[in-house]
Amino acid sequence: MREISRRQAIIGLGAFASLALTACGSDGEAPAKGAAEPAGKAGSMSGFAVGQQFKATEPLSFDVLYNNHPFYPNKGDWLLWQEMTKRTNVTLKPTEVPLSDYEKKRALIIGAGDAPLIIPKTYHPQEEAFVASGAILPVSDYFNLMPNFQDKVSKWQLQPELNSIMQSDGRIYLLPGIHEGVWADYSFAVRTDILEKLKLEVPKTLDDFYNMLKAMKAEYPDLYPMTDRWGVPTPGGNLIKLIAQAFGSKGGWEYQHATFDSAQGKFVYTGAMPQYKQTIEYLNKLVKEKLLDPESFTQQDDAAKQKFISGKSFVISSNAQTLINDYRAALTENNPDAKIVKIPVPTGPIGEYKIATRLENGIMISKKAAENPNFVAMMQFIDWLWYSDEGQQFVKWGVEGTTFTKDSAGKYKLADDVDYVGLNPGAPKHLQKDFGFGNGVFAYGGATALLQSTFSDEEMEFQNVMNARKPWPVEPGAPLTEEEREQAAMWETPLKDHVTQNTLKFILGERDLGEWDAYVKELESKNSTQYVNLVNTAYDRFKKEHGN
Amino acid sequence: MTRGYRVFQWFNGLILTGVVVVTLYPFVNILARSFSSQSAISAGEVNLIPKGFNLTTYKIVASDPMFWTNYRNTVVYTVVATFIAIVLTTSYAYVLSKKHLKGRKVLIGVAVFTMFFSGGLIPNYVLITSLGMKNSIWAIVLPNAISVFNLLVMKAFFESLPQDLEEAAAIDGLNTYGILWKIVLPLSKAVIATMILFYAVSFWNSWFAAFLYMNDSGLFPVTVYLRNLIAGATGADSYGAAAAEVTQAAANIQAVTIVLTVLPILAVYPFVQRYFVSGVMLGAVKG
Repeated sequence: MREISRRQAIIGLGAFASLALTACGSDGEAPAKGAAEPAGKAGSMSGFAVGQQFKATEPLSFDVLYNNHPFYPNKGDWLLWQEMTKRTNVTLKPTEVPLSDYEKKRALIIGAGDAPLIIPKTYHPQEEAFVASGAILPVSDYFNLMPNFQDKVSKWQLQPELNSIMQSDGRIYLLPGIHEGVWADYSFAVRTDILEKLKLEVPKTLDDFYNMLKAMKAEYPDLYPMTDRWGVPTPGGNLIKLIAQAFGSKGGWEYQHATFDSAQGKFVYTGAMPQYKQTIEYLNKLVKEKLLDPESFTQQDDAAKQKFISGKSFVISSNAQTLINDYRAALTENNPDAKIVKIPVPTGPIGEYKIATRLENGIMISKKAAENPNFVAMMQFIDWLWYSDEGQQFVKWGVEGTTFTKDSAGKYKLADDVDYVGLNPGAPKHLQKDFGFGNGVFAYGGATALLQSTFSDEEMEFQNVMNARKPWPVEPGAPLTEEEREQAAMWETPLKDHVTQNTLKFILGERDLGEWDAYVKELESKNSTQYVNLVNTAYDRFKKEHGN
Repeated sequence: MTRGYRVFQWFNGLILTGVVVVTLYPFVNILARSFSSQSAISAGEVNLIPKGFNLTTYKIVASDPMFWTNYRNTVVYTVVATFIAIVLTTSYAYVLSKKHLKGRKVLIGVAVFTMFFSGGLIPNYVLITSLGMKNSIWAIVLPNAISVFNLLVMKAFFESLPQDLEEAAAIDGLNTYGILWKIVLPLSKAVIATMILFYAVSFWNSWFAAFLYMNDSGLFPVTVYLRNLIAGATGADSYGAAAAEVTQAAANIQAVTIVLTVLPILAVYPFVQRYFVSGVMLGAVKG
């Protein structure tokens, strides 16, 4: 034995070296786009297709980064985990991260090379930070492993949306959550008992909205009829956003530096658009006539809520949840006659549109996954759980017969002893807390029928009005290259600061709107023109390469 | 007592009363909120006295097993970490206080260096992970075992003890460890009590190390639980559309959790306080 060992060692070394060389060789070749041939097929289903239940051929387990919600903290014995393993033969091992600091930890463990394979709850463009380092996979190379995802993309015509999150190399690094239809949720809550008292209709347009506030002011001259929340950290997060959209621009939470002007066929600088000026003029009018509390843009949410609940204001930003959780109960306790409703988003000069993206937060896949022997099975599992009709129903509603029932018309009903979003108040168990379903890590997006299955009648009224409106066209993609993005980032911060500051100054009347042209000049001195040129170059390049 | 001095005392008392009010108000307010009803809080009616008095919120929080698991973790982490920190800091400081020690400057330099430079977040994380300390108590109690500031305070204190005392003890036959254990430490109760307080409070309040190195909510200290309850709900608002999914923890639940978390430290403080002033001042003159 001892004698041969040297020779064996040499042979062994040689074999090892050649192995290493071949490994390097195959590593170095970049897989052709859309035709990647991943190695790890163990446990996967051959011919996995739409409408099929995914079940791994052997028991598998994958790490997943888990965003732990304080309202329904993770429990190991949830029916969600048990049933998931039963149906798919896959066990997910969650790395629990408190929701409060999810982004921080995600960045850290990806940076340290210690990330789980599946990294959900990522909002575009957060994934861009990890593209350059190669820490995450270009998921678009593996769409062919995901029949349900592909089926929904073509059925719901989501290609333009996908283009909007494409990187300059023509690949997508984030597996986005997808909605069948545009979903509008945010609007304004209005005290309808005051409207009745003043014999006013629910406002439809921005002019109606203004007239309503004016009538309220006439009746209650000492109050600001509207004082708004969601001003911190983005001033007028919802308010400026909705008004800007009605004029055909972007603001508040949705502010982006470049906006596509379809008339000119190119991008323009948002903060200098005439439509942006109109937005500011409208809000300035509200502030000047004391219809809108100037503190709306800087106060904490609690302060705004308190004014609304104690009857010191009548209009406030809202979504379906805050209407019920934050306002209605407390308001009616203080004033039994008070009635509130979430009004359809007031329309502006652009007409009847609903404006929102059909993409949701999505999933990043760690680079390590590509070397995993079960890679194909993992992608199939993700496809089934997050994108198949069956999987989406499972993560949202749970197990038929246990947590919910479904009648022949496809209408969902919770089991009698289970509560969820107030559908069964007083029930002993909770769908999220006790079963793990309706879980924000897994359940989002999907078909409109599924989305609306938990909506109240009141919310459905709102949805029906909004869904009668046309969806606003998706902006074309203009992905920047790595260097371009660095350059753009250097321009973005000072531009954003200047736009935000001056938007507020104009609205609050601290700066006269007559100085608009001077303001636009200031933006140009901060490179707004170069910025837009950069985006337009990227747009032209992308159009040429991908022909959209 | 001159008239001027009396006027000064009056104003002094007035200003200090003002400071007391400003300091106490948040505490009392949180306490009042913890006993109030949710609707009274959202209407902004709760200041110093609870409105809609009830104990249900305490019952709700106390019935969450995760809260108590995390609470127990905090107690364990704090006790173990403080113990380790005190032993290491005392030993290090005592050594450094000996002027005849060779290489003393280097040892001080090594400690002080870490006050100004650190490896950074990711290298630290990689280090802890490769040492296999992730998801264990050691990730929390070891990396912060020596606070350089506390070390220097203790060193100054030991230096202020008369050298003759130790020499006398040595002549009577005590070795180095005997001197430390039987002579120096009994004379250092004040500074050790202060250090225990400093360390215990900082470990009790700390959340970041646990947040970094723990991947299982059953291992989190109560501070992470609390932070998720408060910052999680408010931070999510900035997302806009994403916030639709978030249900904000009610203000009274937040208040109750804060009260329960702060209580032990508040209760310990009066007992340590008598050592506190003398302990911090002892090292101050001779630096």
